[in-house]
Amino acid sequence: MTRDVAGIGLGLRYDLATELLERTPKNIAWLEIHPENYIDRGGRYQEMLDLAREDWPVITHGLSSCLGALEPFDASYLKELGTFLRDLEIPWHSEHLCLGGVDDRFFHDLLPLPFTEEAAAIASQRLIEMRDAIGVPLALENASYYAPQGPDGLAEADFVVEVLEKADAKLLLDVNNIYVNGRNFDFDPKLYIDKIPMERVVQIHVAGHFVRDDGLRIDTHGEPVPDDVYELLDYTLRKTGPVPVLLERDNNVPPLDELLSEIDELWTIYRNATGVGDAR
Amino acid sequence: MLADHAKAIHRVCFGSEPSEADLELLGSRERWLVYRDLVRNRLNHVIGVALARTKNAIGEEVFQRAVDEWFSTGGPTTRYLRYVPSELAEFAIPIWQRTEAPWVADLAGYEITAWEIRYGPPNPTPSHEFAFDRRPVLATAVKVLRLAYPVHNEPAPGAGYEPDPTILCLYRDKNHKAIPRKLNPLAADLLDAWRAGDQTVAESVQQVAAAHKTQIGPDFIEKLSTLIADFLNRGILLGGQDPPP
Repeated sequence: MTRDVAGIGLGLRYDLATELLERTPKNIAWLEIHPENYIDRGGRYQEMLDLAREDWPVITHGLSSCLGALEPFDASYLKELGTFLRDLEIPWHSEHLCLGGVDDRFFHDLLPLPFTEEAAAIASQRLIEMRDAIGVPLALENASYYAPQGPDGLAEADFVVEVLEKADAKLLLDVNNIYVNGRNFDFDPKLYIDKIPMERVVQIHVAGHFVRDDGLRIDTHGEPVPDDVYELLDYTLRKTGPVPVLLERDNNVPPLDELLSEIDELWTIYRNATGVGDAR
Repeated sequence: MLADHAKAIHRVCFGSEPSEADLELLGSRERWLVYRDLVRNRLNHVIGVALARTKNAIGEEVFQRAVDEWFSTGGPTTRYLRYVPSELAEFAIPIWQRTEAPWVADLAGYEITAWEIRYGPPNPTPSHEFAFDRRPVLATAVKVLRLAYPVHNEPAPGAGYEPDPTILCLYRDKNHKAIPRKLNPLAADLLDAWRAGDQTVAESVQQVAAAHKTQIGPDFIEKLSTLIADFLNRGILLGGQDPPP
C-alpha cells in the first residue's frame, strides 16, 4: 500500500524539523527524506520521521547508491534499504545519475559521469539491478556538473534519455540542475527539457544555487529559488502535467516562513501550469 | 574509459596533492579543483562539528594535518556521513596519542563516543519487565568509557587536564543528547556484563561481585537497587528478556 504524493513537497531537514513538525503547515503536501540519514538511526532522526509520517506522505531520495559506480552494489545495504523503503509505503525511490564513490570509498558528494555510451550502459544496468534489489520503483535524477565534458560524448540530455530508455526507468527531473548546467555550459535549458520523454517524469526538484564571483553556479540548495528556475519549472509543468514538485533547501536554511512563501509561489506556478492542485 | 576517469577523480579529491596528469585526463584543472574543495569541505565540516573541542584544543593546523593525512589514505569507507568522524577518529587518535598532550586522545575518544551515542541505532523493545532472573535489555546507545583524564568536564581556558582516572557511562537521554554519568569500577563492569547480554541479571551480579571480591550483603543490595532504579529512570536499562534456551 503506497500513499499518494501530489502537489508541492519539502525536504525534511534537521534544521527545519522542530518548527515544521510543530506547525504542520497545510501548504506542504508531502515530505522527502534521504534514507541514509534515517536507516539504523535512533534518537532525534527516528523521532522526526515518526512525527512526519503522522501528518504527511513521505518519499525518499538516495544519496549514496549513485548509478555510475563500477563496483558491485553492497547487497546487504540494498536489502536494508529495500526493507526501509517498503516500510515507508513510498510510491518510488530516486537516486542520482552520477559517481558517488570509487573502490568502495565514498565522496559524500555527487561527481559527474562522462556522458558516454559506456557510462550510460553501466548506469542503466546498475539502475535495473538496484530496482530489482529494493523491490520498489526507482527513478533516476539528472545531476548538476561543473567540469566540461570531453569532446567525444553525448549531450547531457541525450545521455539522460539513453539511460532512461535502456533501463525503462522513471525520471526525477531536477530543473535547477538543468538551469545550473545550462548557465555553466551555455545551453538553453528549455531545449534540454524538450528532449525529455515526459511520460517518464514522476517528480520534479527545484532549488536555489550559489553564483561564485567568477560566474560559476554551484548547486548548493542554499539560496532562494531564482526567478529563472521558477520560469523553467512553469515551462516543464506545462509539459509533464501535475507531477509532484519538491523544494530542496539543505544549507543556509532560513526561517520556515520564508520557505513557506516559496512553497506558495510554487503552488501558484503549479496551479497555473497544470490547472489542478490543492494543498492538504 | 570510465574506470580511468573514476580513479582519476578519486585521486584528485583525496590525494595529498592532485597530480597534473589526473587533472589533464579529466579535462579542466580549475573545475576539478572545485570538486576537490567541495568534497573535502563537506567532510571537514562534519568532522569539525563532531570533534569541535579536540580541534579547539590542538589547534586547527594540527587537526587539519591529521584529517588531510586520513584523506590521503583514500577517504571514507562509510556511505553514512554521520560515521565519517568515527573513521577519522580511528585513524587520528593514535597519531594524537604520540604527538599531543596526553589527555587529547581521551578528549577525542570522549567526543566521538558522544557523537556516536547521539546518532546510534534505535532502541530494542524488551519483551519483559526488568527482573533478576532475566537477561537485561539495554538501550542501544550506551557505552562505557574508561578515561585517564576527566575530559567530560570543560577545562579552564588554555589549561589541560590533570590525571584523574574516570569511568563514564555515556547514554542518549530522552532529549536525544549524549549524557555522561560517572560509574565506579564495579558498576562499570556490571554495565559491561549487561551490555554483553548473555547472562541473567542475577548471574552477572554474582560474577562481577566475585571478581571485585565484594560480598553480596544488605549494603550491596541497597546500592545495586539504587543503581538499577537510576539506570531504568535514565533509559539506560529498558527491561528484560528470557534467558536463551
